Amino acid sequence: MTVYKYFIKVALKNKWIIIMYITIFFVMTLLNSTDAMKREESFVETRLNIGIIDKSMSELSSGLREYLEKENNIVDILEDEEYIKEQIFLEIADAVIIIPEDFDQKVVNKKEAILIYKDDRKPQALQIENQVNKFLAFANITYKDGRFELEDVKEALNESVEVQLLSSGDSYARTGVDSWFRFYYKFTGYVIIGVYIAIIGLVMSDFRDKNVDNRRKISSKRFLDFNKEMYLGQLTLAAAVTAVFIVASMLIMGKKLGEVYYIKYLVNLIVFSFSILCLTFLISNITRNKYAITALSTVLSLGTSFISGVMVPQELLGDKVLAIAKFFPMYYFVKINDSMIKSLLEVRYELFMQLLFAVVFLLIGLIFSKRAQKA
Amino acid sequence: MSHFIRNCIYQGKNLFREGSYTFWVILYPIILATFFYAAFGGMMDPSFEDLKVGVEENSGITHVLEEIDFINIYEVSKDELVQKFENDEIDAFVDDNLNLTVNKSGINQTIIKEVVEQIKQTIKLNRPIDGSEFSVSYVLGRDQESNSLTVIFYSLIAMVSTYGVFAGVETASLIQANLSNIAIRINSTPLKKQNFLIAGVMVSLLLNLFANAALLLFINYILKIHLFNNIKYSTIIILLGNLFGVILGIFIGVSNKKSSTKTLMAIAITLLLSFFSGMMGPWIKVMIDKHVPFLSRVNPISIMSNNLYRINFLGSTKSLGEGVIILIGYCIMLLFASYLFLRRKSYDSI
Repeated sequence: MTVYKYFIKVALKNKWIIIMYITIFFVMTLLNSTDAMKREESFVETRLNIGIIDKSMSELSSGLREYLEKENNIVDILEDEEYIKEQIFLEIADAVIIIPEDFDQKVVNKKEAILIYKDDRKPQALQIENQVNKFLAFANITYKDGRFELEDVKEALNESVEVQLLSSGDSYARTGVDSWFRFYYKFTGYVIIGVYIAIIGLVMSDFRDKNVDNRRKISSKRFLDFNKEMYLGQLTLAAAVTAVFIVASMLIMGKKLGEVYYIKYLVNLIVFSFSILCLTFLISNITRNKYAITALSTVLSLGTSFISGVMVPQELLGDKVLAIAKFFPMYYFVKINDSMIKSLLEVRYELFMQLLFAVVFLLIGLIFSKRAQKA
Repeated sequence: MSHFIRNCIYQGKNLFREGSYTFWVILYPIILATFFYAAFGGMMDPSFEDLKVGVEENSGITHVLEEIDFINIYEVSKDELVQKFENDEIDAFVDDNLNLTVNKSGINQTIIKEVVEQIKQTIKLNRPIDGSEFSVSYVLGRDQESNSLTVIFYSLIAMVSTYGVFAGVETASLIQANLSNIAIRINSTPLKKQNFLIAGVMVSLLLNLFANAALLLFINYILKIHLFNNIKYSTIIILLGNLFGVILGIFIGVSNKKSSTKTLMAIAITLLLSFFSGMMGPWIKVMIDKHVPFLSRVNPISIMSNNLYRINFLGSTKSLGEGVIILIGYCIMLLFASYLFLRRKSYDSI
């Protein structure tokens, strides 16, 4: 097991850069999945994020504010045009409302009484405009003897319609915890490709040294044995990386593990890791250039993540993009990860595809390795 | 002067012959932009279509809904509801009792609910009205295009403008005798290290600027995403980004590590900073802005990408001055630190 031992030794020599790499990606995974819990769509009513600046502070403006606060989420806002525009641009706020000092007067005279910053291309703009206009129209209807009867307006506005949701699929059954796992494991897929290729490539670059290589060729070590031990070394390193992410997710979610079909995430990630390990084996046999390896690590990890639905959900991607994505194991990994299943049998095809990729990568890798042997 | 030019030419050739350099600086950004475009392109231009509301045949509500110009009405029987929903032919169905049926939650459904509710609420208000009350608009709208996804592209451009980091690493190892053979030779000649270093910085800057220009042309003319309205200030930011990148590269380069380790470090650092600035989704940036606003003020990639979208999309230059000062500050600090490490170096044995 000389080759294996040496492989581990080189890996340990590079431990700091490996640890740094894993830490950086781990931080990214955590941030991405923490945020995911909030990105889940809400049930039936979409609440807009709005900012309100009330300069009038009248009874009418308070009533309006109260109504809007009931229907929407309020975000903090500063009275500064540039700041407001930036919040809209970044979609932190869907609309920002400014109520002027002479608000009541304008409403009574049926003038444009309120300033709203919004993106007119989006339905959210229409929604907020409707809400404001409705409230003010109602208020005006009740206007009598110099005052608004806001209690009546409020009562009327409490009237609501019944909404029946026809369930189409169970996309609504997702809980926050499930979302967390979904995003965490999906992003881990990206990390696996990036980290595997980069750090295994780093360790392999020592083996690819011309002198070492020549010595190996004249040694009595059999070609297949050498590759076997090499692969074992890579497997050890890869298993360690994947284990870090799995154990971390267990530690973070702890008891909540029972709330999701955890075995799906676990099996899927292990199968995917195996498939990527084979890809790494292939790459390290195709090229000796360590720069090319780092380049491939970044392009393959980011590229397949973008087109396979790690960064944006698969349903939002175009058909053509997805058609290309099907040529990479990442697509099947994400598909399983996003699925709502009760048994692994339901995704056997996707699991099989990942394993098939693994076998193909491995075989091509061996062919290249054999060819390099002869050269 | 001729020494300087010769140094520049040699270093330029040296960089160009390095395959990894060409990849990282020219090809990689273009590949990445293409992936971004594939993933996000379709989502960047929201358009508002009229809402599709299904009603029963001869429904009493039809004439009320007909008045509303953003609603299209379709007569649907209850049996075909599921089918119509699945084919996306209607957003919601309203029956004669003003009850709503939907198959998903979303903004369109919410707007329809709001409209139907308004009918019910008006009845509840129980005041004499003639209908003209609802034709008044109390809203003075200020349109501000929202486009948080462009942050991804600005962030990519910001990251790529720091990719002089790779050339910087290379330049630094060319003058350290313990790192490369050429450096051994250079160190044993009367050639001045500082001239060599300055030439390296110049070449790296020029090559990276050239690569940036290629990327910007690609985004503008091939992907047809128009990101730049204010060329003058944008150029200042990108130039500073380049300078920062090269100097960061030299700073990383002067450490006595293997060159593959240094390249990994350079990639990891720029990638992490770009991640914080929103390169993999603007929501990350928004979250950082909310919880650790300090970080986005000092993260060089954030400084660049924030200023780029502020200048070009919002027409605001308010944070430009601060950003420029911080970036220059970084450059001076890193340059000084690298200089401390490089000066008066002698080797007992190589």
